[in-house]
Amino acid sequence: MTSAVHLDGITKRFPGVVANDDVDLTVERGTVHALLGENGAGKTTLMNVLYGLYEPTAGQIVVDGTERSFDAPQDAIDAGIGMIHQHFMLVDPMTVAENVTLGTEPRKWGGLAIDRDQAHRDVERLCDRFGLDVDPGAPVAELSVGVQQRTEILKALYRGTEILILDEPTAVLTPQEVEELLSVFEMLTDQEKTIIFITHKLGEAMRAADEITVLRDGQTVGTVDAGEITREELAEMMVGREVLLEIESSPADPGSVVLSVDDLTVADDRGVDAVSDVSFSVRGGEVFGIAGVDGNGQSELIEAITGLRRPHGAIELDDREITDNSRRDRIEHGMAYIPEDRHERGVVMEFDLVENGLLGSQHAEPFAGNGRIDWARAREHTEAIIEEYDVQPPNPDAEAASLSGGNQQKFIVGREFAREPNLVVATHPTRGVDIGSTEFIHEQLLELRNAGVAVLLVSSKLEEVRGLSDRLAVMYEGEFVDTVDPETVTEEELGLLMAGERPAQGDEHR
Amino acid sequence: MSGAPKRVKEGVRTVLERLVRASAFERILISAAALVLAVLVGTVLVLVSGRMTTCSTAAATYFGVGFCYDPVTVFDRLFFGALGDPMNPLFRPLEGEFAPPFRAGWSPFNTAMGVTLRETTVLVFTGLSVALAFRAGVFNIGTQGQLIAGGLASALGLLSLAPVVPGGLVGSLVLVPAGLFIGALVGGLYGAVPGVLKAYADANEVITTIMLNFVAAQIALYLVSNYFKRPNSQVVETVPLPDAATIPPVVFDPRTNVSLIALAVALGFAGAIYYLLGHTALGYDLRTSGLQPAGAEYGGVATKRTIVASLTLSGALGGLGGAMYVMMILGNFQIGVPAYGFDGITVAILAGNNPLGVVFAAPLFGIIKSGSIVIDTTTSVPPQLVDVLRGLIVLFVAMPEFFRQIGHRVLPEESQTPGGDGDA
Repeated sequence: MTSAVHLDGITKRFPGVVANDDVDLTVERGTVHALLGENGAGKTTLMNVLYGLYEPTAGQIVVDGTERSFDAPQDAIDAGIGMIHQHFMLVDPMTVAENVTLGTEPRKWGGLAIDRDQAHRDVERLCDRFGLDVDPGAPVAELSVGVQQRTEILKALYRGTEILILDEPTAVLTPQEVEELLSVFEMLTDQEKTIIFITHKLGEAMRAADEITVLRDGQTVGTVDAGEITREELAEMMVGREVLLEIESSPADPGSVVLSVDDLTVADDRGVDAVSDVSFSVRGGEVFGIAGVDGNGQSELIEAITGLRRPHGAIELDDREITDNSRRDRIEHGMAYIPEDRHERGVVMEFDLVENGLLGSQHAEPFAGNGRIDWARAREHTEAIIEEYDVQPPNPDAEAASLSGGNQQKFIVGREFAREPNLVVATHPTRGVDIGSTEFIHEQLLELRNAGVAVLLVSSKLEEVRGLSDRLAVMYEGEFVDTVDPETVTEEELGLLMAGERPAQGDEHR
Repeated sequence: MSGAPKRVKEGVRTVLERLVRASAFERILISAAALVLAVLVGTVLVLVSGRMTTCSTAAATYFGVGFCYDPVTVFDRLFFGALGDPMNPLFRPLEGEFAPPFRAGWSPFNTAMGVTLRETTVLVFTGLSVALAFRAGVFNIGTQGQLIAGGLASALGLLSLAPVVPGGLVGSLVLVPAGLFIGALVGGLYGAVPGVLKAYADANEVITTIMLNFVAAQIALYLVSNYFKRPNSQVVETVPLPDAATIPPVVFDPRTNVSLIALAVALGFAGAIYYLLGHTALGYDLRTSGLQPAGAEYGGVATKRTIVASLTLSGALGGLGGAMYVMMILGNFQIGVPAYGFDGITVAILAGNNPLGVVFAAPLFGIIKSGSIVIDTTTSVPPQLVDVLRGLIVLFVAMPEFFRQIGHRVLPEESQTPGGDGDA
């Protein structure tokens, strides 16, 4: 039997970077194949090559035993390959059926009009065939993220996709939605469809996939049978050395209140309240975690606390009201902040690391007394961060843009922790960071906590918020649904809270 | 999807990427090659228009065909004329003639050179003005207006100060710095207007600065023709400034209206702006805002105040240029100020918005301005054709740098994380 996909010696070079270096990948028909690797390992690039978005510098693409060369995604679609990107490409006001058939609508009246009924029936039939629970008549804007994702899958199936590629499909889902997605995978493979999904989560790859191919630094490390490997072995393949997967935290010893947030209401960019009446406080020596599916107001809440967005309500840092104070005032009073979006905020991409090491301290002693910048001192500071946080390449003159995402993140974490803060606001502190550095960042965060620093942590990684937090709030649609003890809460309970189920209101969910 | 449009897009990308990665040395080479190319295209234009004109005697004969204008003469006047003909005609290294390279009797302090340096002085200020704003991410098209405002204020201020200040050297030591200060102050305030409008009312600075250019010109016309007009003058101008209020020439003939002191001040400012951008907290804030506004906000930069500061500083530099123009070149204020502000935009582009680059870009424009005067006075080539040649050179020389800057803005988002599994 020929394989559904066979990539042979794919190399993709970008100016100055080799994203894929002689990568081989074989995916059998009717199986789920996970493409596992750290950020920057070249997973998405490889799939973009298969989907015709990039032309490979070298190598062969064989689909169903036929060698192919794709100039554009349309060629790949014609060959039965479909790809679902992280950001869905759906038209919100249109219904599921309209979205699914968009561009290839069934026609009536000699092609003059769209046959909506036929489209509706087609999509319904497709749903039945693959056991997908989607209402073809519902407008996309009203659907949950999980159902939107299924709509994307339907779209691909409608176009005759045999091989479905999904880029980090679980990043935006609640645990329950992940379960549902995995059962969709099963249904699809039962009907001889082939699935390739990109992930950097070990557990997910092991549960969902039949086979796992691990990429590291643009090269294939190997392909393994998901049933015959342990998490530790897989982690070692990804990182290239042995790693500690569990977070070891000691009991907290909270001191006085450092951050206090009272009745905070924050509007998003469109002027709609994204956070409504949230109150909480964080003590020195404790980690206060906020869990939730991305987009439930966490970003707006954090931006209000860190001074990037104007809220209603009150924020106090060390018993001093700072609600309307400037960002600079907050930095100078001991607030360190690891931002969510490192490309936009955390580093200035065209600055070198010395300049980036100064970001936030450009007016402060010891770097810039009386307005003049002491570059020699700034350089020493940056070299210290690079050394301590193992930033690669260890070159203070490298532009931030030339570093991989994980190394940019390590640099940001290093810079922020070096402020000797009273409060650390950390949003997704280990997003895109390799397992080894994640371990190190976690240790540093706990060390700061043990030294009496207050830590406010937001992360979409459940293991991370559960492992690090001493108290854990769950955010849904701009409110705290509940604050729980991360030691005792189960993953299932958390998932329900994240989906907006109030505690003690039964366990039915939408 | 596929085929020609895609290939064109790829091609454009490749060229932009190459430009973005060009080293400083490569960029200078590219600019030099562009200059040569502009001269070649200009040569064709001169020949063609020389063929289409009627004249009694041909200025040049090539391949047995007579042409009314000789491109060799035109470009010789444009470049070497602007320097006062430094080359010795007997110096022909290609033919093995190594006579002294400089013409006997050539002095670097000749009239044409004076005009070149005079124009260069003002262009350094306007170039710095535009470059500084660009670096802070603000497109100041209003340097012209700020220059007019600064120049007018400096002239009016000096005229009212002069009666209470003694003449001679003491007077100069008071009046010249005072004139420059007034020019910078009023130019800065005039630049602050679009700054405040952008920062606090979200008004696009390109639009407001362009409009304020007209406002400045009209206010100057109104004030001078109604209140400060020199009696019995044919043009709209103020009475002359006292000698003590003009910048004294050093070695040049006073009639060329050029002062090496002014040039030295201009170069000093280029160094100062370079230091400001690279070595001060304010400069860091400005550059961060220019490169990545969201990053600047995160880093505690007061973004609104930084916008106002950058346009104020930029306007002050424009105003200084105006004060120099009034105190060094005119000796009073006249309506009809040459387009120094707009030339400053091209100077800044060619300089890659680097203050030190401005020091090298401004003389090129000074030479072209001075050289076209020489062509006008020594050949029969019409001034319109000279304008076309000037435009060609500006276009050719500035474009590679212009596209490099565009590439810088466009490309990083598309290609910075090729392996991007994240949200790239």
